[in-house]
Amino acid sequence: MKIAIGCDHIVTDIKDEMVRYLEAQGHEVIDCGTYDLERTHYPIYGRRVAEQVVTNEAERGVVICGTGVGITTSANKVQGVRAPLVRDVTTARMAREQLDANVIGIGGRITGLGLMQEIVDVFLNTPFVETDESKQLIASVDALASTSRGLDGDEIFDEFLEKWETGCYVD
Amino acid sequence: MKVALSADKASEGRKQVIIDHVKGLGHEIVDYSGDDIVAAIVRVTNAVRDEEVARGILLDSFGSLSYMVAAKQSGIVCAQVSDEHSAKMTRDHNNSTIIAMGTEVIGDTLAREIVSAFLGAEYSGGRHQIRVDMLNKLA
Repeated sequence: MKIAIGCDHIVTDIKDEMVRYLEAQGHEVIDCGTYDLERTHYPIYGRRVAEQVVTNEAERGVVICGTGVGITTSANKVQGVRAPLVRDVTTARMAREQLDANVIGIGGRITGLGLMQEIVDVFLNTPFVETDESKQLIASVDALASTSRGLDGDEIFDEFLEKWETGCYVD
Repeated sequence: MKVALSADKASEGRKQVIIDHVKGLGHEIVDYSGDDIVAAIVRVTNAVRDEEVARGILLDSFGSLSYMVAAKQSGIVCAQVSDEHSAKMTRDHNNSTIIAMGTEVIGDTLAREIVSAFLGAEYSGGRHQIRVDMLNKLA
């Protein structure tokens, strides 16, 4: 399967480990970054993974940040993405069966590597179970985020990166 | 503070636990639940965006549906959580105003503790704000 993966600088090592794990299983992985430990911003990578999935470049996406909230929420803000943020295998399986989830979010500082691998295995291998109810739910989810700028490229964030460079976002 | 709530039919029992707990913490809670779960979630996100309430809590069997629907609303940062640390950190770092919880994967005690952590934590701002600005730009 072709899988897009993304992370922020907090969990780059964990993402790299997951890339190796997926490739060892025979999957083709599109690594959307980040690629090092330099401080960066999770929406950049959540958006890239989402774009790969909704344009069918990748069949599924995996996103990881500290708690998983930031990067998974970024992905969900792109229309057509259905991304649960999970800490257990059952939630991942049910999101595939009931909601045809196409991206999975995990907290790299919340969930250990063993459980993370199991979650991703189940996410990739569980088929969607189509029912009238699930079809209807998915249609209502997909109708949301219709004003999303998720396919407009990395440039949509430039205005904020410029402000960042000039020191507008200090602690 | 004022807290909005939505729950699916499978989460009726949990809903009462959360209502009692939020009131016990000294907050006001408004129940937006209804037959159409997606519409109920959107009512909660609208109430948060319009600042009619300060926070939202969404309950369904696994939390995933509520989370996806809320996260897609413009100007809303929602967190799907099943542990206390995430509930606290997502306030601190993401300025999340809504959490989604799965009734079938979380027990009553953990659910109460997650709510306490979420309602008790504050946003740090600073460097985290660029990411929230980016989220709001996406939708």
